[in-house]
Amino acid sequence: MNALAIPMRAVRQLPGLFIVGFVITFAWIAVAILAPVLAPYDPDAIAFDALLTAPSPDHLMGTDQLGRDIFSRVLYGARVDLFMGVVGLIVPLVIGVFLGLLSGYFVGWTDTIIMRALDITIAFPFLVLVLAIVAVLGPGLSSYFVALALVAWVPYARLVRGQVKLIKQTDFIAATTSLGFGSTYTLIRHVLPNCIVPALVFAVTDFVLIILYGSSLGFLGMGAQPPTAEWGVMIADGQTYLSTAWWISFFPGLALLTLGVGAALLGDGTAKLMRVER
Amino acid sequence: MSDEHKIAIRVRDVSITFPTEDGPVTAVKNVSFDIRENEFFGIVGESGSGKSTVCRAITRLLPDRAEVTGEITVHAQKMLEMDLDRLRDIRGNGISMIFQNPSSHLNPLMTIGDQISETARFHYKRNREELNELAVSTLKDVRFSNPEGQVNAYPHQLSGGMKQRAMIGAALACDSKIIIADEPTTALDVTVQAEILDLLIKLRQERGLTIIIISHDLGVISQLCDRIAVMKDGELIEQGRTEEVILSPKEDYTRTLIASRPEAIRLHNSAWKGEPTESGNPVLAVNRASIYFGGQGRNAVVKAVEDVSFDVMRGDIVGVVGESGSGKSTIVRAMINLNTLSSGEILYDGRDVRNFKGAERVNFLRKVQMIFQHPQESLDPRFSIEQCIMEPLKLHKIVPKDRIASRVRELMEMVELSPDLLTRRPRDISGGQAQRVCIARALAMEPEVIIADEITSALDVTIQAQILRLLTRLKEQMGLTIVFVTHDLDVVRTFCNRVVVMQIGKLIETGTPQQIFETSSHDYTRRLVAAIPHLPQGLSQSETA
Repeated sequence: MNALAIPMRAVRQLPGLFIVGFVITFAWIAVAILAPVLAPYDPDAIAFDALLTAPSPDHLMGTDQLGRDIFSRVLYGARVDLFMGVVGLIVPLVIGVFLGLLSGYFVGWTDTIIMRALDITIAFPFLVLVLAIVAVLGPGLSSYFVALALVAWVPYARLVRGQVKLIKQTDFIAATTSLGFGSTYTLIRHVLPNCIVPALVFAVTDFVLIILYGSSLGFLGMGAQPPTAEWGVMIADGQTYLSTAWWISFFPGLALLTLGVGAALLGDGTAKLMRVER
Repeated sequence: MSDEHKIAIRVRDVSITFPTEDGPVTAVKNVSFDIRENEFFGIVGESGSGKSTVCRAITRLLPDRAEVTGEITVHAQKMLEMDLDRLRDIRGNGISMIFQNPSSHLNPLMTIGDQISETARFHYKRNREELNELAVSTLKDVRFSNPEGQVNAYPHQLSGGMKQRAMIGAALACDSKIIIADEPTTALDVTVQAEILDLLIKLRQERGLTIIIISHDLGVISQLCDRIAVMKDGELIEQGRTEEVILSPKEDYTRTLIASRPEAIRLHNSAWKGEPTESGNPVLAVNRASIYFGGQGRNAVVKAVEDVSFDVMRGDIVGVVGESGSGKSTIVRAMINLNTLSSGEILYDGRDVRNFKGAERVNFLRKVQMIFQHPQESLDPRFSIEQCIMEPLKLHKIVPKDRIASRVRELMEMVELSPDLLTRRPRDISGGQAQRVCIARALAMEPEVIIADEITSALDVTIQAQILRLLTRLKEQMGLTIVFVTHDLDVVRTFCNRVVVMQIGKLIETGTPQQIFETSSHDYTRRLVAAIPHLPQGLSQSETA
């Protein structure tokens, strides 16, 4: 059973940019997995004999103020940032889709409670609310995930709720009732697969934002904590040395940029792929 | 062509091709016809026949990617080579179009008067008073009862028929002599349709119009037109004087088209539906049922159904007819609890349908199956046909697991579908095929009663005839009871042996088709029956179905 059938014609017409995005993103995933093999140094190894060395054959991307190899740290950083992107995406996605389904399918107080919670959440700017929650819970990646779970489900819930309301009107949902199917079954088997595509498409695009916000938190000292090799933290580290040792901030920044662009292109392409012709 | 009539529109060897992802698709192939001045010309065809495409090509309303070859002249002016300025001058000023859905072709934020005089403002640049005067006089021409007042009305304040008349007014405001009407009455109720057709006939005489009317309904076309053309799959297969084409059609397809009309089926199968059951207990009984939306009793916003009672006897085919807003769908949906009754009751085998719970409810839903109007929309777009039919078998364990696949094939055979379709998805099959799949899925539940809610309304007339034949056969074989909801009185007359007539939520009368269609004493029923479009007399000798 192929619930999310992807039309073959669409695959053949894949835009070149989608393939670029796909290659970049999966290259980074490969890097993250293979980091221990690829990295020439221990990312946290301090070397006082090689402080702030410029990029050279020994240190491809140079070293930072503690003599740590930037190249190795960028490779290991891919692990942290991708992990952050994936977990920070899946948790709100699942919560949002679930709440959206409930609130779209069951009218009445279920809908009211979920929608009011949603209203309260969107009353605050996203990053401000995330920062506030992280500040209360204490800096760190796990606080970021909790904050995302509390805040980032909103767009998914809204997307799914709207779709459910549309799908509910269609005759094939009326048909499931007349065929005597239970509402849980109908919800999972018929409503969910027909509602989830916009949410999934949004999720792929959201992936890059989750990473960027996570890095921003790292930069502000609220996310992953030093000495973790996280790109945002590394960019913040190099800030003071920007005029003398540009490479400390530049290479993690470049890594973030390429992953961001890759994921965004992937998201656009996925949106095109999953569009079901009705 | 005789010389005494001047040719208004000449279409010569016109082919129209659309480029698509799967290569070019030819929508119209080598179509030629002439329309004389002051002629009423009809183009009839089923969906996909290219009838609208060809007419849109006359005013060059097709998208730019469409490739049109051949020659189209209007009063000897070549339309296909014309520059845009000249074209704009002719559109709305020499040729006007009337579209199918008046609601979506009128701007909701403009008054009727403004929309009628808009063409004049654009083409002649007249001042306000003149425009208002023009709007009022045009509204008078299209038989508005109070033109001075209604000129300031907005579209939502008018009924569907009034909107369509306003659209006709807008088409006429600039003294267009050629009107192209694309399914002008398809979205309208049958009594309103009769009114609009009548208006078109009068306007043609008053203003000397040349009218092209496009329709899927041979009845409508043959009532109006001097000459008709039949199109199929982009080709014009037959044209001639209306009586000639209808009484002695040359092509097989034209004959099928005529024979598919319910009135033709009726002529040839007088004993098609059997006598109504008079005795015994009703399988479904509607007792003083009311359904209100948006509040209870006095506060109800919409009284969709009010105090309706009728019985459905076992083995009958009960037709529930009425115009839009009559509450016919609302009441039958309540039979399986898709709508909630505000008062009254609906009994299945003597038990209130609202009281079935748990296993009893499932059993009840198995016995009473519903089929919906839009077949493609009532199948999950992500399921294959096989999964669609298999699902109820699996979920309700109707047959043992190892028998499911073969049962699906049996059901496909019952509804005369090829097993090749099993792997397709709903959007990859035709409307008629999808409706058969819906019937197969309903049959999978082994029902006693089938509630069919406008199941043939979205289908072409030849497909409708096939579906009706199929249902009749299945009813005979399986002893089904059918509740058939439709706006099409002719279908009911042919297909049902008991008729329930409804109007704005109220029951008008019930009876046998003969009582309803021939000897009814109710004004409303008689008006409905009189409004049904018919083919010219003499049909019975003509075709050979």
